[in-house]
Amino acid sequence: MNRRTFLKDAAFGGAALGAGAGLFGRMASAAAPPDLAIIQGDSPAAITRAAVETLGGMGRFVAKGDVVLIKPNIGWDRTPEMAACTNPDVVRTLVELSFTAGAKKVTVMDNTTNQAQRCYARSGIQEAAKAAGADVPFINPRRIKKMNIGGAWLKEWDVIQDFVECDALINVPIAKHHSLCRVTLGMKNWLGAIADPRNRLHQRIDEASADLAAFFKPKLTVLDAYRILVRNGPQGGRPSDTRLLKTSVAGADAAAVEAMGATFFDIPPADLPLLQFAVERKLGRIDLEKLVLEKRTV
Amino acid sequence: MKNERSRKHRRLRLLRIAVQAFFLGLFFTLLFGTRFTGEDYIGRVEAFFHFDPLLAAATFLASRAVLAYFAWAAVTIIVTLLFGRVVCGWICPLGTVHQFFSWIFKKAKFLRPKKPASGGLWVKYAVLVFVLAAALFSLNVAGYFDPLSFLTRVSAASLIPAFERGLNVLVGVVYAAHLEAFGDRLAQAVQTLMLNSTFSQGFFIGLIFLGVVLLNKWRERFWCRSICPLGAMLGLFSRYNLFKLEIDEAKCTRCNLCSIHCQTQASPFPADQWKSSECVYCETCAAICPTRAITFPVRFRKEKLPDVDLSRRRILATSFLALFSVPFFRISKARKRADEKLIRPPGALPEPDFLRKCVKCGECLKACPTNGLQPALAEAGPEGLWTPVLVPQIGYCEYYCSLCTQVCPTGAIKELSVPEKTTVKIGTAWVDKNRCLPYFLGRPCIVCEEHCPVSPKAIKFVMVETKRPDGTTAVEKAPVIDLDLCIGCGICENKCPVTDRPAIFVTSVGEQRSGENQFLLKMDN
Repeated sequence: MNRRTFLKDAAFGGAALGAGAGLFGRMASAAAPPDLAIIQGDSPAAITRAAVETLGGMGRFVAKGDVVLIKPNIGWDRTPEMAACTNPDVVRTLVELSFTAGAKKVTVMDNTTNQAQRCYARSGIQEAAKAAGADVPFINPRRIKKMNIGGAWLKEWDVIQDFVECDALINVPIAKHHSLCRVTLGMKNWLGAIADPRNRLHQRIDEASADLAAFFKPKLTVLDAYRILVRNGPQGGRPSDTRLLKTSVAGADAAAVEAMGATFFDIPPADLPLLQFAVERKLGRIDLEKLVLEKRTV
Repeated sequence: MKNERSRKHRRLRLLRIAVQAFFLGLFFTLLFGTRFTGEDYIGRVEAFFHFDPLLAAATFLASRAVLAYFAWAAVTIIVTLLFGRVVCGWICPLGTVHQFFSWIFKKAKFLRPKKPASGGLWVKYAVLVFVLAAALFSLNVAGYFDPLSFLTRVSAASLIPAFERGLNVLVGVVYAAHLEAFGDRLAQAVQTLMLNSTFSQGFFIGLIFLGVVLLNKWRERFWCRSICPLGAMLGLFSRYNLFKLEIDEAKCTRCNLCSIHCQTQASPFPADQWKSSECVYCETCAAICPTRAITFPVRFRKEKLPDVDLSRRRILATSFLALFSVPFFRISKARKRADEKLIRPPGALPEPDFLRKCVKCGECLKACPTNGLQPALAEAGPEGLWTPVLVPQIGYCEYYCSLCTQVCPTGAIKELSVPEKTTVKIGTAWVDKNRCLPYFLGRPCIVCEEHCPVSPKAIKFVMVETKRPDGTTAVEKAPVIDLDLCIGCGICENKCPVTDRPAIFVTSVGEQRSGENQFLLKMDN
């Protein structure tokens, strides 16, 4: 990337991202990978691939012979154009990249909110991930165990073991509006890795999400903002509830990805209680202006 | 003694068993296929029902409507006219179940047929007359006795749930044996089958099945002999059929084995006493005859009506019984005022029409992806026993699903496309402010609004001030319901964290199929 294309992208990105994202960040230095990769483009697969490559490639997160678990949002019985679940092409690409990096086994799963078989099928994720060679199992009640979460607030909860019995955990949320939390991004996505009664956690949702994010510690977070849900979240229902951003945000710092995602909804990251809790729990940085961001269009 | 039994008829008997196994397999394949398969639309998994002339007749009489797909029932009638009750003996899945248990009971010496049974055959004709006469007076009770409805309902609400629970025990055993990988695979396979396993009446419906099976201890295929109105109906058509039993008097030793082991009391011996209306062509008599005396040659003669069993007096008496029992079925609040819990599946016809068509088969219970559809007990009155109701605390109505409307064999639930279905209002949600966490405790909670599937959401938020028990004041987002948008799907009730009696709940009022079960004054200007 040269300076001219960056400026062009920044202008394009700034317009597309509601002027928020383009103002933050410094240019990436040539040597070290940036803190965040923010890639735009027409193809969900291509921007996902470019985002991971910008961070230094999947090899940075997945070692040869690793068991990889990819956690998309498959929570709702909604088709991809409703932007309620992670884009299937994004998931497929991450499965492919994991295998290319030498993963022994890749599993894609989620504890859904609507009826599981319907969510898996109609989100398109089951088919896409299977086509790339991943296992896409339903939650097995026998693989749920009460675990010490060790959070500042959430002490213990039933955890689906697949999410802890893996070498590399990759979080692939989709950026969505949410009435209680304002937005739901990567940290609340962890409610899909634990068992019921999850609905009780809503009484302290931000602290719970931050504690779960600290517990699961994904090696990589890829925020799917190809098509985001801007109202009627977190499941929408009409294509008009969505907005096409054609963006992928990836980073090893889950808080930074989350902060970037908040700007897509014109929310200053520091305004989100969740991100305050995340900073308190030292999950990462949300001061986007001080982070190294690399923005590109592919 | 040299074995003189007929090889031909023994082969025919084997063929019959193979055909029975095939159709029983087909029946359960279709029933297990009555679920979300990954597609919005499933094929004609309810096809068996459309070949059932009893359901065709009862539904036609009760609803006064001609349903095109019941034209298939003519196939059954034609087959019966030509070949007799082969449908009972070779195809009917419930007949196969009864015959299987009769066979087991015989092998276990639990059932010991000593002399040819007699009597009791008329009962099924009475059941038939009752069902048809009641239907004429718009009371549809066919489904309680129709063999396909009976077996489907028992399977959906009792046998399959028990099977699912059994499978889960098996999975547990596999894990206990430290075969983790196999256990994982098995658990996934079980989940893919989407077997609903929670039915509040499953135990009792299972008991009825057990009782009906145990009747086979008394007489072989008891149901088919004495209860089945479909068998009775086909018996009336079978007297013209081509194959008539004949006994070669020269060979017959009068051992009576044929009549003792006749599955259905057709009395093969003596041949002039043989009842074509009872014979299901199981080939047992011809196969076990020690002297090969029994054959079924083609004969173009008409058998006499089963006059002993179907006297004019009994027809009249049963018809009057049906006529006089109809009002008793209707002495119930259900006819006056809708029950709050009577949340019908989307596409259900207005209640009186629904009751005329529903045959309580349970196809919809099997198809429902959330297990929310349950057999009614008293919600719909006596004539609504085992009709489907949505119980949101067990399962909600999945927004983009119209499976129950697709599998209903009689159109009691009108077939809807998915987009049509999403607009159907089946009830209305209400907030119990004395239990709702934001209203009552001033605690945040969003679960109902989060899950509301319509767009824009029918559950909206208002900021509400609440006095906490300690006297401080909380201001929290609390749910309110936009009645114009709520479709009554019940996911809010299902997901509400107040487990035992949810703080948000759905009742049937406002359901779009009803003109009476409403509460808002229409003010257009």
